[in-house]
Parts: sequence; structure tokens; C-alpha cells
Amino acid sequence: MTYSDETLMAYADGELEPAERAAIEQAMQADPAIAEAVARHRALRQDIAAAFAGILDEPVPARLQAPAAAPVAPVVSLDAARAARKTAPAPAPAPAPAPARRRWSWPEWGALAAMLMVGVLVGKVVPQGGQPAIAGNGNQVVAQGELASALDRQVGGRDAGAVRVGVSFAARDGGYCRSFVMGASAGLACREGGQWRIPVLAEAGQQAEGAYRQAGTELPPAVLDAIDARIAGKPLDAAAEEAARARGWKGGR
Amino acid sequence: MLADEIAALLPRMRRFARALTFHREDADDLVQIAMERALGRSEQWEPGTRLDSWIFRIIKNAWIDEVRSRTRRAELFAPEEEGEHVGDDTAQAHQQRLAIQKAISLLSEEHRLVVGLVLVDGLPYKEAADVLEIPIGTLTSRLARAREALQQLLADSTPRTR
Repeated sequence: MTYSDETLMAYADGELEPAERAAIEQAMQADPAIAEAVARHRALRQDIAAAFAGILDEPVPARLQAPAAAPVAPVVSLDAARAARKTAPAPAPAPAPAPARRRWSWPEWGALAAMLMVGVLVGKVVPQGGQPAIAGNGNQVVAQGELASALDRQVGGRDAGAVRVGVSFAARDGGYCRSFVMGASAGLACREGGQWRIPVLAEAGQQAEGAYRQAGTELPPAVLDAIDARIAGKPLDAAAEEAARARGWKGGR
Repeated sequence: MLADEIAALLPRMRRFARALTFHREDADDLVQIAMERALGRSEQWEPGTRLDSWIFRIIKNAWIDEVRSRTRRAELFAPEEEGEHVGDDTAQAHQQRLAIQKAISLLSEEHRLVVGLVLVDGLPYKEAADVLEIPIGTLTSRLARAREALQQLLADSTPRTR
């Protein structure tokens, strides 16, 4: 009598009726190959159960125990977001399903799109009564005024005034880049020739609304994609960031 | 209260979610979404039916809807979080656990779901089929194929070079 692998699996999983079970037990005694197949199914089941068993004993994070309304902390820094998640009950989003995320890849849009986008958003990064925060310079867009000085000096992840600088990292081309949020816009600035060039600027804040933000999602997908495309290794930690700032953001690693 | 009964399922929800997403923060995000959805539509649960099956179905749907699209990004930003909770088990047990979790993460989504329900959580076939809203025969053959794929992945990873 031969049995399908599915039947032997069901036997190993305790899913068969008594009569079938008895028949298979007989067959296992008569045929070592059948016994072996059953043993293999059982071993896999046990190994998998064991691999996940420890999770049941982990303390359940506070954010899952108390899904009550809590203010959403405005974090830009991934590290700060993670630290916050470890110490405080995290934001509890509205139950409504989040809107589907827009996915597109920034680099494919090219320089023309960059200029158009910046054109649309540029009004939003002009502080009231102040100097415009970005300016066109040939075919590049660079930070100036308040934005430039925040990029020069601000410690990432710290909420300080109109501009909030987020992650800093060394780019593959060797320079440094920093993400920022300013008013309704978020972008990425990369140090080039003594200026902060802005390869991407996008509307911030809408997509993470209400539901569920995880570290970094305050930045719009376009900015995250731009980071993806450039980052070499991991974001700088506090010490590396401080060192880079001290050197005036000259040169990468 | 329903909320308390759901809260009592949290450890199992987290474990099932980990079978689906591998990364701890993604898994907990998924559980949180599912919690909120479950509490927001608790009137849809029919008393007398299994609460765990209902919750797992919500997790499954939430996973398909939302978290999947974020996984790639999470891999960029949270790589060091995998392999936490090493505890004091032996290096070998730890290796084996990681190898299995990794292998499951390489399965197709369909296969990960059946493995998560039957082999990780230990649901009977009938309940697992119920969660997935498929006939039990489909569940059985899908589970058999998932196991085969998993055996293959684990065999391939045995001479581990990492």
C-alpha cells in the first residue's frame, strides 16, 4: 500500500481519522521508507515550532497593549524614532486603512522633473518675511538662508525651529547628505562644492497621516527613494555626524 | 470584554506576524494594524466562532494590504534588529532558528501563510483553511508544497557560508 506525501504529512500533523491513522501506523512498521517520510514531516514541524517558540515569551511592546489615542511625535531621525519607540507607547493610528502608497523612483524622473517639482514647492519653503530657503543656481537647486544654516549646524533629529534636519549619511560619491523637513516640504540636501545642493524636494507629511508611521516614514517616498539611491552603508551616528559637522561637511569617509 | 480577549492573543499574533514578515518591527506594526482593525470592527466577529481565526484573518489581510509594500524599506533601515532576543540559547540553536526563519522568509506569500498558521501557530487544518478562506483540500496541498520548498531551502543552506 502506498500513501501520498500529503497523507503522510496529515498523519504527522495529527489530522487523520482513527482508521486511517491505524493503517498508516501499520504501513510504517512494514516499510521503513514510510516511517522515514513521517519522521521527516514531524522533525520539520518541531524545528519550526521551536524556532518561533521564544516569541511567545517576549514581553509584548507597550504600543500593542494600549492602542489608545496618543499624539504622534514628530520625529525625523531614525534613531530618535527607534529610541522613542522603545521608551514610550507609540502613536496609535486611526483604524481606517492607510491609503495605498505611491511608489515611484526619483532618479528616473530626472533633472527636468526636479526643477518642475521644486518650482511647485518653492513657495512653501519661503519663510514668512524671510529670504527664500532655496535658489536656482544654473541647473542646480541649492539651499540658502535659514535652510542652509540649519543644514550646516543643526544636530539631526532635534526639533529646532522651522527646519528639522533628519538623517545624515555619507553618499556613494563620497559627499555627505542630510534629509530635512521644512514647513510643508521635505527634501534631501547633499554637500557639493561648498553648497547644499537639493536633488529632491517633495511635499511632506500627508502620507504618514493618522496611521502608522514607522521610523523614517515622515519623509515622503520620493525622499526615501533618493536616500536609497545614494546612501553608502548606514546613516551616521551622533558621533560621526558631529565629526562631519566639525569638518564643515567636507568629503565623505 | 472582546478587547481583553484579543489582548490575550497578542503573543500568538506577534508570533504569526513574525512568520510573515521576519523583521520584528514590521511584525509588530502588522499586529498593531490588525489590533486596531479588529477593535474598530468588533461587531463583525460572530460570537461562538473562533476569535483566533478571525484575528489571524485580519492579520493576513492587513499584511497583504499594507505591510508588504514597506518591507523593502524596512530592510534598508532596520537590518541590525534581526536576530535580537538571542537570549542564552546556544549558538547552534540560534543559528538553526535563524536559518529556519530565513528560509520561511524566502517562501512565496501563499506558502508563508500556511506555514505560519499550521506549523508556527499549530492551527488544525480546518481552522487554517478557514482563516485563508480556502477549501481544506487546497490548504493540504498548499501545505505539502510549502513544506517541500522549505526542506529544499534548508537543505541548500546547510553548508552555511555566512
